[in-house]
Amino acid sequence: MTTFTAQIELKVNGRVHNIQVRHHWTLLHVLRETLSLTGAKRGCDRGECGACTVLMDGDPVYACQMLVLQVGDRGVTTIEALGDSDNLHSIQQAFLDNDGGQCGYCTPGFVLSAKALLDAAPNPTEKQIRRALSGNLCRCNAYGRIIESVKQAARN
Amino acid sequence: MKPNAVIGGSVARRDLPEKLTGEAKYVSDIRLPGMLHGKIVRSPHPHARITTIDTSALKNLPGVHAILTPFDVPDGKVAPDLPILDSTVRYVGDEVAAVAADDEDLAEYAAGLLEISYESLPFVTTARQAIEQDAPRVHPDGNLVGGKPLSLSRGNVDEGFAQADRIFSMSFTTPSHSAAALEPRAAVAMWEGDCLTVWKSSRGVHADRLNLALALGIERDAVHVIGATMGAGYGSKDETRLSAIAAVLAQRAGKPVKIEATREEEFVAGRKRHSTETTVKVGVTSDGAITAIHAVTLMDTGAYLSSGPGVVRRAGQGALYLYHCANVRYDGYLVYTNQPSAGSYRALGAPQGHFALEVTMNHIADELGIDPLDFRLRNHVGIDGQPGERVTPTTEIIDTQPVEGGIPFSSNGLRECLESGAKAFGWKDRHGIQPRSPSHRKIGSGMGMFIYRGGPGGRSSANLRLNYDGSVQLIAGLMDVGEGSATVISQIVAETMDISYDDVRVTFGDTRRTPEAPITAGSTATFSTGSAARQAATELKAKILRIAATRLDEDVNALDIVDGRVTSDDGVAHLSLADIAASVTEHPLEVEASVTPGSKDHIVNSFGAHFAQVEVNTETGNVRVLKYVAAHDSGRILNPQLAVNQVEGGVSQMLGFTLSEEMLTDRHSGITLNASFLEHKSPTIQEYPPIQTIFADVVDPIGPFGAKALGEPPSIGVAPAVINAIYDAVGVRITDLPATPDKILNALGAQSEV
Repeated sequence: MTTFTAQIELKVNGRVHNIQVRHHWTLLHVLRETLSLTGAKRGCDRGECGACTVLMDGDPVYACQMLVLQVGDRGVTTIEALGDSDNLHSIQQAFLDNDGGQCGYCTPGFVLSAKALLDAAPNPTEKQIRRALSGNLCRCNAYGRIIESVKQAARN
Repeated sequence: MKPNAVIGGSVARRDLPEKLTGEAKYVSDIRLPGMLHGKIVRSPHPHARITTIDTSALKNLPGVHAILTPFDVPDGKVAPDLPILDSTVRYVGDEVAAVAADDEDLAEYAAGLLEISYESLPFVTTARQAIEQDAPRVHPDGNLVGGKPLSLSRGNVDEGFAQADRIFSMSFTTPSHSAAALEPRAAVAMWEGDCLTVWKSSRGVHADRLNLALALGIERDAVHVIGATMGAGYGSKDETRLSAIAAVLAQRAGKPVKIEATREEEFVAGRKRHSTETTVKVGVTSDGAITAIHAVTLMDTGAYLSSGPGVVRRAGQGALYLYHCANVRYDGYLVYTNQPSAGSYRALGAPQGHFALEVTMNHIADELGIDPLDFRLRNHVGIDGQPGERVTPTTEIIDTQPVEGGIPFSSNGLRECLESGAKAFGWKDRHGIQPRSPSHRKIGSGMGMFIYRGGPGGRSSANLRLNYDGSVQLIAGLMDVGEGSATVISQIVAETMDISYDDVRVTFGDTRRTPEAPITAGSTATFSTGSAARQAATELKAKILRIAATRLDEDVNALDIVDGRVTSDDGVAHLSLADIAASVTEHPLEVEASVTPGSKDHIVNSFGAHFAQVEVNTETGNVRVLKYVAAHDSGRILNPQLAVNQVEGGVSQMLGFTLSEEMLTDRHSGITLNASFLEHKSPTIQEYPPIQTIFADVVDPIGPFGAKALGEPPSIGVAPAVINAIYDAVGVRITDLPATPDKILNALGAQSEV
């Protein structure tokens, strides 16, 4: 098996990591396997479910759909950069208050998509909320509670 | 009930903070030193014998540490018809062999180097064909499981049909669809000497331990199963070979092995809902009384049995018990085919059976000129149960899916669900809605009702331990599969002991640290483990009070726990639970309670009625749900916020089953055609309709704090309500799910040709 590797600098959560990667590795693979940032989940690995959503210079992207070599000097934000369980970010707190998740596998992706939305549109309409989150699947279908969570997060 | 009661309060979901921050560890997040990655080779044939597997290309490949083939596998079984690997493969995607290597890339590469020779065998991909005498056999004993149908009856349907003025018969099909939990199943296996530890996606660690021990031919005590955070399963995540294969690879490699299914593998080799063909025949008098019901279901279990017998049984329960009727019969045919294996998925066969039953009943009501709601109000089963004689000995616990009559329900809020749901929906005024312009958007309303077993499950245990800091540790073998049982059962403990919810800690899902528990299935967790936890809490409280009485030199009857402190009946708080923990010599202060929940006198069932308003676009065939009311009798609701989330989620999930989801295989090759979210078409947040949830004011006399089953019931009423609403809107009755735009347009086209 032949593999090609490269040495790159990757900016994640405000820190620069100097790492060796294989050419075909996705950003998701590197986040999870190289940097042990496992909050981004591998739900499909083919750009369909949104469980791997991270922010790149503030915009939500599917980390499974980007080769790590494509990231360049853009800054990646993962769920680990938001609050921790003893000190939740206000969006996470709104999800907790409104039960905006069940099994939780999709949840970090939803929180980051919501953050990107609220950073761009602090008072979104429900239509905007639905559109902004339509790239994230929740198979528990907790969509009703998720919409309420984002509405509360916007109020906070 | 006290004003500050924990029960009935919407305390936050227990493990949600860690899920929101990415701290929660799912199986795929587990990393162990030296851990290898496993990859499974899957069959390209729907039915074949593996003649040889040449592994020589892997022998000198650096980084490949273990190979597993059907020719060198331990000969135990994962399930009665499922060896760890088999030299016969039975569907496209069936497990053939596996390798473990240093990383995923290498494992995948190495798996591709195995030279596998197959001898193709005749195959059959539909249940209808598989049941024919000369059909190719998927398993040696024949395709019809058990050699005969499951036949259940009460009274005599022939006599019942003879009493009928009119007899109606309709036939339906439902597709296979995938639970498609967002977390693909995964397992990590690690050996320490002769002891195996497995982390896996699980809804029952104790059952998994037993299955693994049997498969590997080792003692149960040598197997330690830990249920990691579960990325949900909706019932679908057991009975597969994944963890057993990981265990054997790890043993051979002498290193831990992780296997993660890909999304495609999860769709194909996970477990999907059984597809069905059902015919419902109903006899009625001209004034709308039901004299006989006979349902026949043909169900495709695919290549392996899995939970098929339970699923085919449950498909009949609506026909047998939802309507008050002396003469009923159900025949369920469960058939092997060379399709990917079906298995448990939320409410098992109940959604399929209720779809057929409730669309037929609407048709009958229409034909008789009776409002569908009135027809159900007239005929639904009441609290007294069904007519007939009790068969079960009075000393035995009543089955939660009874056939016999003569047994009352412990509680039955079906009528209240029908009435309160109709009121909230505006059923009586539903046709006052003016269709919007343009006129190709037609609006209609539909409804249906349902009955579901659940609540009492198998024998369950719970331990409660008083920690040094005064908190109480709830220890049970149960898995919280994402539905919130850890939250609700903690509430039960807090309420029973009158301690703070925050002072209950939970240890679940670990075979070494918890007593036996049944799998989280059949909507039984709250009822069964909850009942055990309640009993344990009562006993621990009594024990604490006895210790306090001795220490305070008080009469034990004058003491109680109030807000977490031992308090005498004059209202003076004397001791905290931490004081008690510090003062006892017997450590840890712990009680264990085991209960076999259920009743010898009553049937414990949940009920509900769903109402949907839809808009059908007659130009595109698209159906949009505009409004939805879900009325449920699940007994007392212990946590309203979690309960509402369950109902809304169940409804939305099954809008997929009703309108868009279907696992498609090519009949001529057995190949799955749409193993992806893009093509399986599950609902997104864009389709999510306004859903109003109503809970009937029912407190069940048997369930813990009056609770009954809730997890699965929301999924049962969706297809009937929506399909009946489509008929109301455009006059076509879709009998083959899902009701995709092409089917709607075809039906409209056929209608206009008449």
